Amino acid sequence: MSPTGRAVLVHAVAGQRRHVLLASLMVTGHQAGEALVPFVIGVVIDQAVHGGVGGLALWLGVLGAVYVALSFSYRFGDRAAERASEQAAHEVRLALTRRILDHRGGAETGRLPGTLVNIATGDAARVGVVNLVIPAGAAACGGIALTAILLLLISLPLGLLVLLGTPPLLWLSHLLGKPLERRSETEQEHAARASGVAADLVSGLRVLKGLGAEGNALRRYRRTSQDSLRATVRAARAEAGYHGLMIALNGAFLALIALVGGRLAADGDITIGRLVSTAGLAQYLLTPLGTFAWVNGEFAQARASAARVAAVLASPPAVTPGPLPVPEPATGKLAVRGLRGAGLRGVDLDVAPGEFVGVVATDPAAAIALLACLGRAADPDEGSVELDGVPLTELDPGELRAAVLVAEHDARLFDGTVRDNLGTATEVGTEAAVETGTAETGTAETGTAETGTAETGTAEAGIAEAGIEAALAAAGADEIVASLPAGLDTVLDERGRSLSGGQRQRLALARALAADPPVLVVHDPTTAVDTVTEARIAAGVRALRRDRTTILVTTSPALLAVTDRVVLLHDGVIAASGAHATLAAEHPGYRTAVLS
Amino acid sequence: MTDGTERELLPVASGRRTLRVAGSLLRPRAWAIAGALAILVLGTLAGLLMPPLIGHIVDLVTQKKGANAVTWPALLLVAAALVQGALTAAGIAGLAGAGEHALAALRERFLTRALRLPLGQVERAGSGDLTARVTGDVTVISEAVREALPALVDSLLVIGLTLAGMAVLDWRFLLAALVAVPVQLHTVRWYSRRAGPLYAAQRVAVGAQQHELLTTIDGAATVRAFRLTDRHLGRVERRSRAAVDLLLRGIALQTRFYSRLHVGEYLGLFAVLVVGFVMVRHGMTTVGTATAAALYFHGLFGPINVALSLVDDAQAAAAGLTRLVGVADLPERAATDSAPVRDASIEVSEVSHAYVPGRPALHEVTLTVAPGERVALVGASGAGKTTLAGLIAGVHRPGAGAVRVGGTEPEPGATVVLVTQEVHVFAGTLAEDLRLAAPEATDTELRAALDRVDALGWAERLPDGLDTEVGDGGHALTVAQAQQLAFARLLLADPAVVILDEATAEAGSAGARTLETAAEHALADRTALVVAHRLTQAAAADRVIVLDTGRIIESGTHTDLITANGHYAELWSAWSSRR
Repeated sequence: MSPTGRAVLVHAVAGQRRHVLLASLMVTGHQAGEALVPFVIGVVIDQAVHGGVGGLALWLGVLGAVYVALSFSYRFGDRAAERASEQAAHEVRLALTRRILDHRGGAETGRLPGTLVNIATGDAARVGVVNLVIPAGAAACGGIALTAILLLLISLPLGLLVLLGTPPLLWLSHLLGKPLERRSETEQEHAARASGVAADLVSGLRVLKGLGAEGNALRRYRRTSQDSLRATVRAARAEAGYHGLMIALNGAFLALIALVGGRLAADGDITIGRLVSTAGLAQYLLTPLGTFAWVNGEFAQARASAARVAAVLASPPAVTPGPLPVPEPATGKLAVRGLRGAGLRGVDLDVAPGEFVGVVATDPAAAIALLACLGRAADPDEGSVELDGVPLTELDPGELRAAVLVAEHDARLFDGTVRDNLGTATEVGTEAAVETGTAETGTAETGTAETGTAETGTAEAGIAEAGIEAALAAAGADEIVASLPAGLDTVLDERGRSLSGGQRQRLALARALAADPPVLVVHDPTTAVDTVTEARIAAGVRALRRDRTTILVTTSPALLAVTDRVVLLHDGVIAASGAHATLAAEHPGYRTAVLS
Repeated sequence: MTDGTERELLPVASGRRTLRVAGSLLRPRAWAIAGALAILVLGTLAGLLMPPLIGHIVDLVTQKKGANAVTWPALLLVAAALVQGALTAAGIAGLAGAGEHALAALRERFLTRALRLPLGQVERAGSGDLTARVTGDVTVISEAVREALPALVDSLLVIGLTLAGMAVLDWRFLLAALVAVPVQLHTVRWYSRRAGPLYAAQRVAVGAQQHELLTTIDGAATVRAFRLTDRHLGRVERRSRAAVDLLLRGIALQTRFYSRLHVGEYLGLFAVLVVGFVMVRHGMTTVGTATAAALYFHGLFGPINVALSLVDDAQAAAAGLTRLVGVADLPERAATDSAPVRDASIEVSEVSHAYVPGRPALHEVTLTVAPGERVALVGASGAGKTTLAGLIAGVHRPGAGAVRVGGTEPEPGATVVLVTQEVHVFAGTLAEDLRLAAPEATDTELRAALDRVDALGWAERLPDGLDTEVGDGGHALTVAQAQQLAFARLLLADPAVVILDEATAEAGSAGARTLETAAEHALADRTALVVAHRLTQAAAADRVIVLDTGRIIESGTHTDLITANGHYAELWSAWSSRR
């Protein structure tokens, strides 16, 4: 875990140091070759003025050798640099994913998923670019050094003119270009808005259609599009102006060199060929000097990106692992003592092993806080939760979650087959094997690959299959699977978006039931499920979880009716406890919470 | 219910049709484009004066005309540079402007068509198809128009005019320069055959990597709860590795491409230098002219590399364009019925509907709802409730039978509004979001609508009140708040008929209560069809319809159905006996 952006950058380079070193040497060779080409052209012209055919052949051979060298060093240098860059980005991406998924949590605090994905893609790539920047910078230095030597060998005054004249030229073009560039950047941002608005409207297409607001949306989009158009036209003008300015400046500088070089040649101080070489070298010199500006810009971006990466990697964990082992096997006895936190003001609750308890929370924040403490997504401000007499904070959160599974209301389904989605950590091995096998052929073939696994099937696999069937039936999801074209082997894409909300909920519930943990905590599992199915699910879950500790956090009367006992969480404390029917009949607060 | 093989992607236009559309987009600015090209040609010509001027200096030196003779050509060089700079700037600005106008026309035309596509068609293609076109393809084309097009035109002009310039110096120089052409042509053919499929695979791999990252990171809490960390790390690693491998294969291909071009460069340079040498030796040309020819040829490397490297961008842009034109060209759905709206009634007569042939979602359903009546739809998932709601709302059209709202074809927004559990907060200010339903609404009316759905309180507490940026990239709203906005939009649209499809379901149990109050206010004094997910909603309705596998099996008031002791009564007793 790297704490600073600097360390992230250093690690990105050090991890690829062999590629970076090789690339630096090779790319420098390429730049040296590019500098030699105009020089050799000048020498050949001198041969035309007063050399022999032998001299011409020799120098054309030299030119050929220069080309072979520059071509090869470019080819392998560039590859090594790109490899170093891409691999460093890959490593950063994995380190970020590892940190985000770490069982201690905390990396998502204050960051939206989209932001984290941007950091893992865009920022990771920009950190990797540092491995392109270093060889390019080294090559630019090498190219400039060689040009300087060649120019000074040709003529001291002409060499000095080029070497001393080029930096101010670049500085001047930078100075003149800066306002144009800055303007162009802000205008480009404006321009990006049109595509953002269009994507947003398309993703809300269903809502627009329901409202019949397509016309209004289009009128608004046209306004944005026209604003964008004006901005991009202004930006294009600014850019074209800058481009023209650069042409004029470089041309004028070339004219100055031609003037001074021409006078030196006329006075017989240098040959014609040397004059041509000087013009060519001056033209070449703009490339490595321009590279410095690029290196600077990219490096600044890489530093900023590395800082964002480091901030995620170094984000404080939401919970810290404790030293004690999870009781094995866990009986499922839970004790909540004086729990305080967001919306909780001293909650005390005992759940006996195998008990089926409903929790009705009048404040959604309190329900979420309680769930967080049970699954150690967060630790309470005060008080404790104990599993079989051991405080959860004394346990490793990863191991704890094998014993206490908190199935959240908004739990996600993932891409892959229904079977993949229902399998949990215990089947990592087989699932990974299946995926590797199909990585080349695509998800469509997962079904056939799965049969391969079934052939090696053991009694264990059979038990797992029976467990999945039972969980599906209890969650009312068996009929969903039956209606899918390939049953359990149907591939769910886009995280099951093609299923209705209720279907997704039922599959998610089946997944939680299939995991079969000693303690299962489920939050609002049937909000999008119709009343007919909900009643069936209540009975199914009750039967499947017989003698296994189960906590249902819900206000659905159909679910609460099958519990052993219900507690009412009101104003941050347990305000009532008893059978659903009794509370519904006798407790007005409970009735309001559940039956209105 | 998904089956990858049943995807029916949105259409892609043919190459010829795409070209015609591109032409029609550029035609309004034909004169501007011609003018810009003419200016660019003049600018390039000014730049091409430079090598002969340097050649002239060389000749002046060889003819021993003295140091001062160099001054004039040097001044001309400065003038040429200034003219070239000014004209190139003007030409490129003109060209880019024309390109941007065509681009704006294209994206507006595309979105106009895309937003009016029947929802069924979009869903059959997968929601990703349209989104990919509106984001990916539009971006690729915009970048091509913005960056590649001016550079390409500029490079092509330089290449063409330089070759012409070499011919003007001496036709033999041109012949020598053309020695490089077969190598370059062969290289381009070799490259484009390999590059297209490789880059397509690259885009797919990078997209898959992005998608895997989003899925995993968005579901991090679920991954932790179910201890799927290793599995998801493995998935991300495989996707990322696959993308990196393909990117590196692309780099390897590119470096081989440029290595081959180096061969062409050397051959051409070799030929030009040898020809120059021989001609100077035989007195057929001056050293200065040979120098100009060598400088011309050396100056071609840059533009040739630029032009060839843009072949990819051009190909990607062309492919994107065919996909945009494919959608923009789809025929408009003709309004078949434009009878005036009579009242707030709903008539559904013998309607059958199937999304997939052979799997009907609705079976000859007939239903009449009187103005002002509130009807609740009850039934298991898959019974056809959502389909019926969508048909009455005019979002889908029935496969058979007729749907009438107020005696005419349902027109979303005007006569009927559908609110589903799918929420979307449109990016922009809160006020802009609401004005999608009623563009002319005053701030007072917006506040009143928010107040009616109990949302004014939190809306005014937002950092900038109603002017707070919400939605993607703005202030994040909760699901319940977003759904309150949907009800506020409904109030502003003020339709006679309202359809709610489990519109209060997604918010979780405690949030649902606020939403049900909001829905109650939004439904007041309107004809309403409510797809109920809590039976209390059904009990509060004037009439309850029970759907089962696409058919109406029971219909009547709550009390009637309880007395009838059928399916609904059974449900109700299951629900209420435990109360």
